[in-house]
Amino acid sequence: MAFPVSFDLDFLRRRRLSIVVAVAIVLLALVETVNAFVAPSWAPTEKDWGAAAAKVRAQFRPGDLIVAAPAWADPIMRRQLGDLVPLAMAGRMDAARYGRIWEISQRGARAADTAGARVVDTSRYGALTVKRWEKPAAQVTFDFLAEWHRAEVSVVTSDHVEVPCVVAQERFQCTGGTSLKPELLEVDTTLRNGLALDPAERSTLVLEFAEVPLGRELAVASGLHSVWLRKLGDGKVRMRVLALGRELGAVEATSSSGWDLKTFDTSALAGTTGKVRFEITTDKAGSRHFGFAAEARSP
Amino acid sequence: MTAESPPSPSTPSRWRREWLLPLFLAVATSSWMVSVEGRQGIGRDESQYFRAGERYWGWFESVWNNLRAGHPGRAFSRASVDGIWEDNHEHPPLMKILFGVSWRLFHTCDCTGPKRGLHPIPITGRHVTLPLFGRESSAFRFPAILLAGLGVALAYWLARRVLRPTPAAVAAVLSVAQPHYFFHAQISCFDAPITVMAVLVALAYWKSLRSRRWGILCGVFWGLALATKHNAWFFPVFLAAHYLWIRRGDLRRLRLPRPPLAFVSMATLGPLVLFILWPWLWHAPVPRTRAWIERHLQHEHYNFEYLGRNWNLPPKEPSLRLLRATFPFVSTVFTVPVTTLALSALGTVVFLRRRRRGSERSQVLLEDAPTAFHPSWVRPGADVDRAPGVFLAIHIAGPIAMVALPSTPVFGGVKHFLPAMPFLCVVAGAGAAWLIDFSRKLLATPSRALPAALAGFLCLPAVAETVRSHPDGLGHYNLLAGGFAGGASLGMNRQFWGYSALPILPWMVAHRPPSNRIYWHDVLHDAIVMYSRDGRLPLGIGDVGVGEQVLEQSELGIVILEKHFTIYEGLAWQAYRTTQPSIVYTHEGVPFVVAYERHAAPRVSPPPQPEIFAP
Repeated sequence: MAFPVSFDLDFLRRRRLSIVVAVAIVLLALVETVNAFVAPSWAPTEKDWGAAAAKVRAQFRPGDLIVAAPAWADPIMRRQLGDLVPLAMAGRMDAARYGRIWEISQRGARAADTAGARVVDTSRYGALTVKRWEKPAAQVTFDFLAEWHRAEVSVVTSDHVEVPCVVAQERFQCTGGTSLKPELLEVDTTLRNGLALDPAERSTLVLEFAEVPLGRELAVASGLHSVWLRKLGDGKVRMRVLALGRELGAVEATSSSGWDLKTFDTSALAGTTGKVRFEITTDKAGSRHFGFAAEARSP
Repeated sequence: MTAESPPSPSTPSRWRREWLLPLFLAVATSSWMVSVEGRQGIGRDESQYFRAGERYWGWFESVWNNLRAGHPGRAFSRASVDGIWEDNHEHPPLMKILFGVSWRLFHTCDCTGPKRGLHPIPITGRHVTLPLFGRESSAFRFPAILLAGLGVALAYWLARRVLRPTPAAVAAVLSVAQPHYFFHAQISCFDAPITVMAVLVALAYWKSLRSRRWGILCGVFWGLALATKHNAWFFPVFLAAHYLWIRRGDLRRLRLPRPPLAFVSMATLGPLVLFILWPWLWHAPVPRTRAWIERHLQHEHYNFEYLGRNWNLPPKEPSLRLLRATFPFVSTVFTVPVTTLALSALGTVVFLRRRRRGSERSQVLLEDAPTAFHPSWVRPGADVDRAPGVFLAIHIAGPIAMVALPSTPVFGGVKHFLPAMPFLCVVAGAGAAWLIDFSRKLLATPSRALPAALAGFLCLPAVAETVRSHPDGLGHYNLLAGGFAGGASLGMNRQFWGYSALPILPWMVAHRPPSNRIYWHDVLHDAIVMYSRDGRLPLGIGDVGVGEQVLEQSELGIVILEKHFTIYEGLAWQAYRTTQPSIVYTHEGVPFVVAYERHAAPRVSPPPQPEIFAP
């Protein structure tokens, strides 16, 4: 039987590049059309999510972390497993303290929280992959956020007068209206638990923790709360970090600095107990709501 | 052969090509939109235009009522005019007037019942209407939908200046078969209408280069465009750039090109039409025009996600300025169907080679031979080639370049440079023309059905992508980006205006707390009102209001998932003491809206159908 379509072979020989272009566009149109019909079925279904969640739920242990990858799938993950994702976990400083991480992923994505971990279990549920990652969990010797009420907080004015702050209604209330308390913060459009305050100009807010058991590092993460305030203000907030009277370093938060995590080496002090001090200042206080979390720990 | 005089004039086939085909495309487009618009929720801006449109209609009613009462001047007093037209005066009125008139003509009236109090104008009796639509919002949307249909026909007619009917039809179909454009085209907003106006003005200008009548019409059309949206300010710039290009011979001879009739008409009739259509200007034309212009020149930078960053200020760092400048280009590459982009690239080559390949051009592009030896001010392009490639390039590059400026707000995403898209699609039509011509030559015995079949095939991916995207066209990204999920992973904007709450409304009603204290986040009260008028929410549904403080007072609340709205999800977690949403609306697995309930008991296993997966 003859092929129903016949080509002008001479024309075909003369216009090879054109043939390539034409065929490429026709193929592209075909692929794009097929993809438009087929791709929606590649998305994880509710059944996939239910099965993946059941797997995690069956093997979940207290202290495990559950994450979604890519991060935009997090609300769906929490819809399924939100009872296992308390606020403390959802607004974590970082994932160092978690030795086991359950990752529900799609499209080959990997959660940043799993960095440095190894996969010990993988299973697939339709379009979803459940992986259990494991790594040595950091041993947190002191959580400054959880122990916030143990701090001594004061304001040091520009003429070096130190005015102590008082605890009132689950917060430290300081002179000049400044207060400090744990809050759920939105920093760089991510939710974080932190100690938060409105820093004042020409004064230093000082937090001092007396008996801090130090590990090999002091991790400090900080940033500025609220997408609206970051848009309005342009001041810089600086926090000096001192351990046993020695300055470890400083962190700075600006509208664009995000949730900035720094680890200070305290291995020389590991095993000792002593005073840790945070000194917070700003050059322009307008629309600055600063928050930070910190842990003394040994990775 | 010239574009203005295609072959076989005055024949039935010409009538079919020049009128019946675009009419069919227009009707098909509008019918498509009418059949699906009900699945698309009400955005915050749209809800305000509903309100303003109905109030504007109320003013026309008052004109009539005062006339009948023997006080014809009363409705025109400053107090009467300002009292109505102050509403949403940052945008000109044409579309809102049409929305209001359409509502009045075509809604199914149950206005005197319990919904009477939901109207922004006094309801004095049952409206006699032609009840085409069951939902009032559909009646409001109808003019935009009709205009979108007209836009397809205009795109066809524009394409016919340079293309044969079949590729021109491809251009027309591609101009509407774009997920983001399709999203905007069926709602009571201005972004698709101003795109249609851009084509209307451009087409009139093009024809005015050789036609006196179109020169006059060009000014009228620009006035209508001005009364549609402020994008119209820039149309003369694009046209002037093109005019200077085609008259560059004059410039070389150090002679100023004569001002064309179209520009004279635009300078006179344009503002006049705007003034007549916009009562807000009547009592203080200069200061209010100035205020309108200043409002948009100094527009606030709202939040918008692009490549994983939330942008809400002009960037200061050079690297970020550069990244920000890529926004319209990257957005175009990721939102326009890829086959359309490829055809545009091919069409660009066709236009670039237009002047060089005389032997082939008649098969792909129509000629544009001069019609006279000397120009006149009413036919200023009669003696020169009108450079269609440059004309299209300016209309594509102009809107995109303006959005590329780091100082331009990007909160509207693609919608801010939608007016470039029909012109891009005409270029794509040229690509299709080349492909059709090439396939004809390739086949030893080409079938007569080949051009139409190939044209339909080339439109298929864009149509399929558009169907796929509905009703969440804002979150759709193309094959290159990886679809909805790929766009989300790239950190591209997913949505704005809070329109996406519609699919979870039944669930919200079913879970309405006894206290009726409901937080609707970015769904404005005006939108709640229209959902109620449409029968999609019960009358008296609770609404605790907007702002961060009121969330704590609610028992049930939604959060629209935009990057900068994360702060509201945090507030919901704290208010409801849980991180577990009760429902998530997703499209192709990408979440758009979540709802939280206060004191919801922890669920060990989710109930059936907890998520809504859009088909």
